[in-house]
Amino acid sequence: MELEEMQNLWAEMSQKMGKQQSLTDKIITDMIQQKYRNRFDKISTYETIGAVVCFIAAILMIVNFGKLDTWYFVLSGGFSIAYLLVLPIIVLNSLNKIKRLNIAQNTYKQTILAFAKAKKQLLQVQKTGIYLNVIFVAVFMPVVGKLFHDKDVFLESNLVYIYIPLMMVFLFFFSKWGYSCYTNITSSAEKVLQELEGNK
Amino acid sequence: MQNKSEFIKIVKQNEGIIYKISRVYTNDEEDQKDLYQEVVYQLWKSFGSFRAESKVSTWMYRIALNTSIAWLNKRKRKPHKISIDFELHNKADEKDTLMEERLNVLYAQIKQLGVVDKGLILLFLEGKSYEEISQITGFTSSNVGTRLARIKQKLKKRILK
Repeated sequence: MELEEMQNLWAEMSQKMGKQQSLTDKIITDMIQQKYRNRFDKISTYETIGAVVCFIAAILMIVNFGKLDTWYFVLSGGFSIAYLLVLPIIVLNSLNKIKRLNIAQNTYKQTILAFAKAKKQLLQVQKTGIYLNVIFVAVFMPVVGKLFHDKDVFLESNLVYIYIPLMMVFLFFFSKWGYSCYTNITSSAEKVLQELEGNK
Repeated sequence: MQNKSEFIKIVKQNEGIIYKISRVYTNDEEDQKDLYQEVVYQLWKSFGSFRAESKVSTWMYRIALNTSIAWLNKRKRKPHKISIDFELHNKADEKDTLMEERLNVLYAQIKQLGVVDKGLILLFLEGKSYEEISQITGFTSSNVGTRLARIKQKLKKRILK
């Protein structure tokens, strides 16, 4: 379809649309009511619940921190607490940044740029999270075992020889999958940024 | 409420804008309806701060385009949909299947473009001047001209293929 043909067809369509009216007062009223649109807010609710669970776990670990009596448990416990407190805050902060974007005041260019940048930043956090997960999964269960059952899985059982290799295999595939997702989405964000800069 | 009835009147007068933009940024009718509702909601949300310094249509294009970008980015994270049951009757002419077929080709060509170009070509097809496109998109008028020339070339290449 030639460009001129496109223009003519578009104009013809717009003209015909001008004569039609499909929206009623009721449909518009329904559309502007909050109850129909909590979709985006729900995601934050799920993530907030996730963060609260992490915070509760961290608090329980802090309260019982004294039970960690060896240097490797103190180190593992410290890492687990930091992980459970910091990562959810960073993720929620990134999501809030996206939520706070001013759709009414921003221009098209500003909106696209803001989303592309926010996406890149969020993915950077997730990429870091992949590496931290490896350590977290390896240390979290032994710390929980020590805190709540007073068991040193590093010394007292052979479970650690099964648990750690098993977790490492799982995390290898999980991280590989996560990383490929990361690179795909990042490249799409990069593409948008390039498009904005006019390099494409 | 005067404010609400005024808003409903404006939306009704300009529903074609919402239809066209929501169609360009989506691939099926269900998504289009979802985006359509979101645009109407965002328009209502910002209606209170609309000062009529710019044209109603300029304000609507800006909100609708920005909402489409936000929708594209949030869609992947959406757990489920809560939709109002309404029909997108606003097609050019349902009886005119030939025209609908041509429109499908036209929308398909626009949808092949990148996210920035989609918005620009849509405003161009709407007959907006470079100045108006500049106001809505935030690109300078000269940049709008350069970009549109490039988009036209891209479309031409695709047509020749």
